[in-house]
Amino acid sequence: MATDKIPVRITVNGRRYERSVEPRMLLADFLRSELRLTGTHVGCAQGSCGACTVLINGRTGRSCLAFAVQLEGAEIRTVESLAPQGPLNAIQQAYHEAHALQCGFCTPGFLMVTTQLLADNPDPTDAEIRAALAGNLCRCTGYVNIVRAVKLAASRLREAASAAGSAAP
Amino acid sequence: MGSPESNSIIGKAVLRREDDRLLRGYGCFIDDVPEPAGTLHLVFVMSPYAHARILALKTDAARAVEGVVDVLTGADFAGVVKPMAPDYAQPGYQVVGRPVIALGRVRFVGELVAVVVATSRNLAEDAAELVELECEPLPALVDAHLALQPGAIKLHEEASDNVLFRSIFKTPGFDAALAGADHVVRDRFHSQRLAAVSMEPRGCLAVHDRGRDGLTFWSGTQIPHIARTALAELLDWDEERLRVIAPDVGGGFGMKAYLYPEEVVAAALARRYQGAVKWIGDRREDLLTSNQGRDYDYDMAMGFERDGTLVALQARIVCNIGAYPTFPLGASVEAGGAALYMPGPYRLRHFAFDTCAVATNLCPTGAYRGVAAPVSAFATEALMDKAAHELGMDPAEIRLRNMLRDEEFPYVNVLGIQYREGTYERCLRRALEASGYEEYRRRQPAGRLAGGKYRGIGIACIIEHTGQGASRYRARGILRIPGFDSAQVKVEPNGKAVAYVSHTTQGQGHLTAFAQIVAEGLGIAITDVTVVEGDTAQGPYGTGTFASRAAVTGGGAVLRASAVVADKLRRLAAHALEASPADIELSQNYAHITGVPQLRVSIRDLAATAYSMSAGELPPGENYGLEATDYYDPPYPSITNAVHVVQVAIDALTGLVDIERYVVVHDSGRIINPPIVEGQIQGGIMQGLGSVLYEAIRHDAEGQPLQASLMDYLLPTMADAPDIEILHQETWAADTAGGFKGVGEGGTIGAVPAIALAIADALRASGARVTELPLRPDKIIALLEGVDGSTHREA
Repeated sequence: MATDKIPVRITVNGRRYERSVEPRMLLADFLRSELRLTGTHVGCAQGSCGACTVLINGRTGRSCLAFAVQLEGAEIRTVESLAPQGPLNAIQQAYHEAHALQCGFCTPGFLMVTTQLLADNPDPTDAEIRAALAGNLCRCTGYVNIVRAVKLAASRLREAASAAGSAAP
Repeated sequence: MGSPESNSIIGKAVLRREDDRLLRGYGCFIDDVPEPAGTLHLVFVMSPYAHARILALKTDAARAVEGVVDVLTGADFAGVVKPMAPDYAQPGYQVVGRPVIALGRVRFVGELVAVVVATSRNLAEDAAELVELECEPLPALVDAHLALQPGAIKLHEEASDNVLFRSIFKTPGFDAALAGADHVVRDRFHSQRLAAVSMEPRGCLAVHDRGRDGLTFWSGTQIPHIARTALAELLDWDEERLRVIAPDVGGGFGMKAYLYPEEVVAAALARRYQGAVKWIGDRREDLLTSNQGRDYDYDMAMGFERDGTLVALQARIVCNIGAYPTFPLGASVEAGGAALYMPGPYRLRHFAFDTCAVATNLCPTGAYRGVAAPVSAFATEALMDKAAHELGMDPAEIRLRNMLRDEEFPYVNVLGIQYREGTYERCLRRALEASGYEEYRRRQPAGRLAGGKYRGIGIACIIEHTGQGASRYRARGILRIPGFDSAQVKVEPNGKAVAYVSHTTQGQGHLTAFAQIVAEGLGIAITDVTVVEGDTAQGPYGTGTFASRAAVTGGGAVLRASAVVADKLRRLAAHALEASPADIELSQNYAHITGVPQLRVSIRDLAATAYSMSAGELPPGENYGLEATDYYDPPYPSITNAVHVVQVAIDALTGLVDIERYVVVHDSGRIINPPIVEGQIQGGIMQGLGSVLYEAIRHDAEGQPLQASLMDYLLPTMADAPDIEILHQETWAADTAGGFKGVGEGGTIGAVPAIALAIADALRASGARVTELPLRPDKIIALLEGVDGSTHREA
């Protein structure tokens, strides 16, 4: 029956969860309603907008296009892992300073893709930023401030990395 | 003008108070609001027909699905919920009501025909698939011009025809003026249907209190107070039992400035089941049922003197508003706005229009960012260019000739609307200079084609009506919009301030901008100011947020309420310091004697006095408390102006348009927070760009929508976003409290004509005329090849 449940074990933001869920439960809905991690937003449920982007085993993925039961044993990171308490991280702070969010609905998806981009490419060009983030739709900002935010975050992360490097014994 | 330097925070680039929780993922959008135990979920069954008589609805199989509480149809709501009829009987209007769930007849694909109530969304969806709808299809009327014809199928029994709103106007002597013009240019323009596509779809959560027969109604709405009044009226419920709360809202753009049938149904069912009822729409539903906009045909004529002086402007406008007028703004918001917004920044003495809103078997429409102004600007600016071309003038030159000059303000336009101040000429000259217009023209190749690209430059000179108040909505016959907004500003016993404002935000930064106004007015740190919005139980009544009004009506109310509180603080301080209130300054959380900063008392101590929590005395005649409420209704619309100059390069083989340069010079009155203003302009421009280059709601001849997802309805992505050079021109409004004007829609209003006209300029040498939106690559190739049947080559 559609409502029969299947056990699944998923690690989310470093914590292991064991739940029994319907096979048709999307990963997005698992995060949002099972785990009450509502920072991941569902903008289309069709894989077209990128708002639901999370990190799945270290790579970005659309949580509306995966079923929770497919992620048995996987490690998921959501926006809530970036700065659960304390100061915003460098990427979030850059978005804040560059006025790169307005309503905030698409923002978690952008933050996760930015996290992956800057991990892969610490010094992206404007064109590389635009290509990497073209899969995330924003209807409020017009995007230009998001590009600025990513550049700002990149430069700060590079500074911090080289400071840490030069401070190493 | 302004406060002492140490207080001055209005105008500063204060980082947004909203951001922290949103960046952490701790926002609370409608689908994030905690659901009470036992919340029931709604899934609506929608009509697959554009026009049909309902013969039977079989719900037994659906009812039998596990977890389904009930399946209800139109008949179940007919006695419980009044039809949604936004307009009143007035000249030009026909009153039409919409049953929340279809009764007897469906009038567009997506209309609600049944609702499934179940213990989970998934189970409700399972059951919805089992509802059987038997219909007798009727001919679908999707073309507004056909719907206008005598003898066309009448969509609504209570109307005499399908024209739900019409307005005709002509200045005395118009016909002679147009006939006597040296040169007349004419053309027809078409703007395609658009969807607002906020990233967050619509949704609501209705929670009934069975003991009090009260309702807490959460909704991603732009109009919480109006929604509350409307729910009370439609459900015959005492208004004081209803509370409407807008949580975080993921974009509105005018589309959410409406009350929808799904919301009314959810509220009614919460009461029926004496519990909590939730509905969240998905993207497919959004593309089918959320208000669409901009489905217009314009038939235009502009008469000029030989030297390019504009003499007369004539417009026949037909707006396809879909199956029902939408609630509360009604049938005239687009058609009326199209004419109202048409006289732009130009001197115009003769104006004639005939504008109408026509019902068809398509999704209902409403206000969408800019409403009709972007298209009115497209039509008039295109004809300006056409006249310039035919008269041998440069498009910039013809605009300068007709533009209102500084010394002409205040200027009462041909419709009796006052333009109090503006910097039209200055902005145009700045924009031309900043964009290198003259140099561009000099270097522009004769056929516009070089290196496989057609290049062109477009100028759009636009105005925006912002901050419309009660008098404007009454004049327009839109009687469900109060027009004023309000604020209650209070200093708490701890000396910190709270401002409750009748607005609500979908990303515009009110929590920061309004806090700046309070902080400056009371002389306290902005970190000691909190702004509360979007909850009808907190704060006074007002209109809400749409039509670029918040800075004017909200900012004005906050400013005036803060001033009253500031006066009381000065009186309390004067008493404490044995001085005159006129000698007291408020600054940095203290009240001190002007020029003697060491003679001071803290705001906190004054608050303790005001709340009788200390030994401090009230002055004679003064009462306790430290708050003020202001209702603000601006007497005139605040007219802003901007000039957009766009350079495009069009690939001759693919028809793809690249925006090479985008310059905008805008004057939106006194700026509260520059990055917030720039963000509004950038976002507005992108929506304009999307509507020119990518977006279109399409149907077949039977009214079947041809887009089911965002892969069919294309939004611009980051890869398409041009860098935008924004130059500020800041002229404080003389007539609004604080000198503020609105800016939310100006970017869109300018972008549509500027981009379209740049494309027209690039294609000019090929003889193509650009009169229809969108301008997708296939359309551009067809224009270049002269094979597009809907436009004419120039003779």
